[in-house]
Amino acid sequence: MIVWSTAAPAVSAAFFASAVEVVEAFTIVLVVGTLRGWRPAALGTGAALAVLAALVLVLGPLLDRVPLHLLQLVIGVLLLLFGIGWLRKASLRAAGVIPLHDEDAIFREESAHLTEQTRRRETSRDWIAGITAFKAVLLEGLEVVFIVIAVGVGRGLLWPAALGAVAACALVLVIGAIAHHPLSKVPENTLKFGVGVMLSAFGVFWTGEGLGIDWPGHDLILFGFAALFLIAGLGAAGMVRRPESEVAK
Amino acid sequence: MTILKDVLAELLGMFVADARLTTAICALVLITAGLISGAHVAPLIGGAVLLLGCLAILVLSVRAEARRRGR
Repeated sequence: MIVWSTAAPAVSAAFFASAVEVVEAFTIVLVVGTLRGWRPAALGTGAALAVLAALVLVLGPLLDRVPLHLLQLVIGVLLLLFGIGWLRKASLRAAGVIPLHDEDAIFREESAHLTEQTRRRETSRDWIAGITAFKAVLLEGLEVVFIVIAVGVGRGLLWPAALGAVAACALVLVIGAIAHHPLSKVPENTLKFGVGVMLSAFGVFWTGEGLGIDWPGHDLILFGFAALFLIAGLGAAGMVRRPESEVAK
Repeated sequence: MTILKDVLAELLGMFVADARLTTAICALVLITAGLISGAHVAPLIGGAVLLLGCLAILVLSVRAEARRRGR
């Protein structure tokens, strides 16, 4: 029986984190498809998705055998490292201290890179293109796999979290297929900010449970933790915000 | 081999993007564990230390990085 107060944050964290990562991977796959055709792009993407699915299928049941408190502690600490890292970067981007992710610029850079690579190795252009798509999807997908496992495994929510991730993939692919252009209008930093908030909240929750803390309100306290991380992230961004004229330089 | 190297680098980067942030979080978890298991402080007080510590680490880390980049 799924408890929705736990499932909702887990599924939404998996959905939004996947959306961010799939947008990044989609840009590279689009480069491959546009420059070298859709066959190597689809083959590379399919192979990477198979490796990622195998990782979830193998690691999920294996992790169920680890004692619950130890699992919660380890996953909780990893979530803290990952979530606060994302939130920190999103705060710095929101403040204009580091530049925003620019999918159009990445598309141009990757196009130039792939063209140069295929020019140097005349005999295996499709192979290089396929490997490029494979690597992009695999590397971006690793973060999705971690998030799905981290938010899903402790409460038996692996499948709902995985479905959230798959739904995000499908949504981005449909939008991408229609737009046929890098998805540069997706508010990527806002999504990253939100996901960082949720993962940090999960991190405190699981780490605490792993250390034997019985949180008041149980799963509902996740929303309180998330609100505090949101305030802290926005506050930190506000403290170091660059004036707009300086950001534009 | 390049792909394997990239995968390992990605995994490492996921959790150790900033060495000082990683060290601070691990130290905070150790302190919380020490308070609860060693000093037998009430678990909820340990929980408050963990939560407030994480929030403080986030804010200080953003400020430190901004200062490092000339803000």
